[in-house]
Amino acid sequence: MGSILLDGVDVRVAVDGHPEPKTLLDGISLNLTEQRIGVIGANGSGKSTLLRLLNGLVAPSHGTVTVDGDDTVRSVRAVRRKVGFVFTDPLSQLVMPTGREDVELSLRRSVRNPKERRDAATAILNRFGLLALADQSIYELSGGERQLMALAAVLAVEPSVLVLDEPSTLLDLRNRELLRRTIAGLSQQIVMSTHDLELARDMDRVLVVESGQVVFDGGADAAVEHYRALSAAGLPPVGAAPWPHTTESA
Amino acid sequence: MSGHGFLLVNYVPGTSLVHRAPLWLKFLLVVGCGMASFLVVDWVVAAGALALMCLAFLASGAGPARLFRAVRPIVPVLAAIGLFQWWQLGGPVAARIVLNVLVCVVAASILTATTPMQRLLDGVVSLAVPFRRFGADPERFALTIAIMLRSIPFIAGAYSDVRDSARARGLERNPRALVLPVFITTVAYARQTGDALAARGLGEPGPEDDNEEDEGTQDNGTPGDAGRR
Repeated sequence: MGSILLDGVDVRVAVDGHPEPKTLLDGISLNLTEQRIGVIGANGSGKSTLLRLLNGLVAPSHGTVTVDGDDTVRSVRAVRRKVGFVFTDPLSQLVMPTGREDVELSLRRSVRNPKERRDAATAILNRFGLLALADQSIYELSGGERQLMALAAVLAVEPSVLVLDEPSTLLDLRNRELLRRTIAGLSQQIVMSTHDLELARDMDRVLVVESGQVVFDGGADAAVEHYRALSAAGLPPVGAAPWPHTTESA
Repeated sequence: MSGHGFLLVNYVPGTSLVHRAPLWLKFLLVVGCGMASFLVVDWVVAAGALALMCLAFLASGAGPARLFRAVRPIVPVLAAIGLFQWWQLGGPVAARIVLNVLVCVVAASILTATTPMQRLLDGVVSLAVPFRRFGADPERFALTIAIMLRSIPFIAGAYSDVRDSARARGLERNPRALVLPVFITTVAYARQTGDALAARGLGEPGPEDDNEEDEGTQDNGTPGDAGRR
């Protein structure tokens, strides 16, 4: 199993109209060696930024991120060959009109011969049970089918690490379960952010992110309970208006 | 976001004569139709060319429904252009302009309906290889074409979604309520597509360039800030 190392990582971005940069992640140091790692936390807590660091989509403002020794800034191409990334919305990830063509696009660099490339794409789609959908327009696929297609396209180049950013957010229950089973069968190291606490419980290790910091790091059940407690704290009583100013103006 | 089959038909598997025609011939057909639209001055000739293109499309086995779906989205635009030109320059000129545009659309649809996208990309790469000496990357060139083709239905879908939202709020007559959200959605889509391509390492130099230092090829943004790639 590979090793992902984050050493004293800060991520800050400039915000229009604000003199000081906004801090997205603050002082993150982690050594990720487990097979399945979950990242949970509220919207805007920094989960996606943390995941984007691992593929080099975001560069740290301070500190370093390495994947099996490759720095995500200095050796970004090598890192991206090792780390596959699945986005929340597969429509923005699937570049080609059909799934087969998208998988073939992934293989363009590694398999030069068109016939061999097509055969390889067919084998990959068959492995994920997507062959019957291979030549359909991606717009005609359901959300779950699209997400699996995006997953197949990323896995076509056989990355050693798979990063998934809230992959089940747009899925219904059945497709969520399908995705869950598919992920469970993968041999890659998985790092996944999710709001689906059932999915989080499948993980070997779960990080709870809050306000740009990892506030809990441990087993799945304990992490989920910690996150539940964190989310419940500060909520208004049942029946109270969540936004008092709107009721006043009404 | 809903997508729409817009203007160009997706590949329809088949073994027809049109499918088997060499790619250069199909490219030539599209380029020829584009050039002819500037040269043809008689609407009867344009009508004849359109009939020929439609026959070629139907000969591919893609079917009249797909042909209709390819042409349907531009019918309102062509109707507006045709009426305006009729008013300004008369019926024959209006008919010629409308028919010439249709010829181009159908010719492009013949190409996309009978050629797998990967074959199309291989063809674009071959065409772009001579430009390598000027620093062009043929693979990146092909990828750009593919993304352009892919983005047309997405933007059409964004427009349709925004129009429905505007209708639901009674703002369908407000152009700002239509244009601005489509613009913002399109920019967001472009950024997401860029992220997705970067994450997959697509459009980057090939493995032969791996020994090059990566540093300096990325935008690190404002000093002290996180840089997006």
